[in-house]
Amino acid sequence: MKLAILFPTLLSLSAAAETLKINGSTTVNLPVAEAAEVLRAEKKMDIQIDTQGGSSGGISMLGEGLVQVGMISKHVSQTDREKFPKCQYKEIQIGEDAVALIVSKDVWEGGVKTVTKEQVADIYEGRIKNWKEVGGPDRRIVFFNKEPGRGTWEVFVHWLYGDPKKAPQVSFPEVGGNEETRNKVASTKGALSQLSSSWADGKTVFALSLKVDGKEIAPVTANIASRIYPLSRPLFVLTNGEPSGESKVLIDFLLSERGQQLVKKHGYLPLAELKAPETRP
Amino acid sequence: MTGRRRWSLTKWVSGTFSVFALLALAALLVLFIRQSLPVWRQEGWGFLTGKRWFYRQEEFGLAPMLHGTVAVALVALGLAAPLGIGAAIFTAEFLSTRLRLIVKVAIELLAGIPSVVYGLLGILLLRDWVYEAMERFEPLSGDTLLTGGILLGVMILPTIMTLSDDALRTVPASQRLAARALGLNSTETVLHVSLRQALPGLVAAILLAVGRACGEMIAVFLVVGRQDNQWPDKLFSAKPLLEAGQTLSTKLGSSETNIAYGDPLHWAAMVALGLVLLALVTFITAIGVRLQRSPHET
Repeated sequence: MKLAILFPTLLSLSAAAETLKINGSTTVNLPVAEAAEVLRAEKKMDIQIDTQGGSSGGISMLGEGLVQVGMISKHVSQTDREKFPKCQYKEIQIGEDAVALIVSKDVWEGGVKTVTKEQVADIYEGRIKNWKEVGGPDRRIVFFNKEPGRGTWEVFVHWLYGDPKKAPQVSFPEVGGNEETRNKVASTKGALSQLSSSWADGKTVFALSLKVDGKEIAPVTANIASRIYPLSRPLFVLTNGEPSGESKVLIDFLLSERGQQLVKKHGYLPLAELKAPETRP
Repeated sequence: MTGRRRWSLTKWVSGTFSVFALLALAALLVLFIRQSLPVWRQEGWGFLTGKRWFYRQEEFGLAPMLHGTVAVALVALGLAAPLGIGAAIFTAEFLSTRLRLIVKVAIELLAGIPSVVYGLLGILLLRDWVYEAMERFEPLSGDTLLTGGILLGVMILPTIMTLSDDALRTVPASQRLAARALGLNSTETVLHVSLRQALPGLVAAILLAVGRACGEMIAVFLVVGRQDNQWPDKLFSAKPLLEAGQTLSTKLGSSETNIAYGDPLHWAAMVALGLVLLALVTFITAIGVRLQRSPHET
């Protein structure tokens, strides 16, 4: 066990300094990993890409100088900046994604297609425990909560409570990356979780619409682009200061026509389709 | 040994190395204790007995994780101990030396399989199996302490088996011959002579396996559900086994370790979790090693 930890560390220390190391959100990873693939082949760049700890992992590993580029699906918070005062976090948006509330097949076929914000809060806080209370089958709700630090979770509680810090104290089984979330929801009856909408395939897991002011709003491209669907979030790559060298090559590629095609290919909105890209210092 | 005690170069060099190893261990302990101080100051013994862990509200109590660790380890033992010792009796008592070595090598290979592979098998097979097999008890999902325990049981089986086999083989053949000469049949010889004499070694095998079970992270992580604050209503009931839970090591492997970095209190709590886990595993392993070394007087 100890050796298993030591060896990769030693190896990475001895590796050439030109290796571009990237870590962060599994959501942002999809287009970035494919961009890395292209750059490895075309520019012979040496790129290591990983998704340890999701967005928070990206922020902390960039803060500690372990990677040169972070991938995040939420903003860098003031707390993060205070934790790593030496790091000049620079967010560069590469696209936009929506967080869908996804359910398992039995719930979907049992008639739950839409929920209201109040119902979701009641489920999250344990006041609603059975799907029949929201017009579905008589089955207990199995809520898989995205683990803390995941961009998906932060977008979810931001929508419900305005601020992750105001989220109530709850304990649910936790899930990490997008694959795990989808697999666990798909294989569990009565399951509900938060998931990047591009992963909601409509075959194994199903994305609920949200009822806002009597209108049902599905997490589809048009609604995300116009920000009518309330659970959307920007996708960023993150650097320490202005990107330079290898990082700049990667980021320029992501922002180019071809890079934006990759963003779109994975189900996210490319920057050009966004009505108003988010800007924040 | 004659009276002359000369320190040769080899002795010096190897001695220095062992001092380094000890220093590294001491440094690790000092570092862990120092970094965990803030949480001990805030929570005191409540860190060990507290049933609530909400890091955003700065509440840190690890009792539910300790319960999870013990529950998972007990399930694993319940499965692996009878199977492992049973298999060891067969290899040590009934197989020829050559066959025994072949079987032993095959089983030790199992011990070398990376634990993440076991974890993936757990996701592929075990979660759904537990979910369906336990359907009448209505588990919420296949992610339960029981699933983690069964998976761990499979993982520690080779350890128990091969160490038990070693323990049984240290019982001198003359003892078995004497037993047979006294008219005991092979079953009686195993039960009354071999097992009895190998008992400390068998207990050691179990303890060393438990030590491994407590520290195991990734495989359990994938199937245990990672639900915090699952302190059972009744301590000695089997019901919590069918619910999701969290162990000390799965908590350490969670995303919180990343989040905690830079926040002194939260970081201290995570380091203190590591310290408790280290103490627990060291304690169990030390007893195991001690028992294993106790000589069989003949």
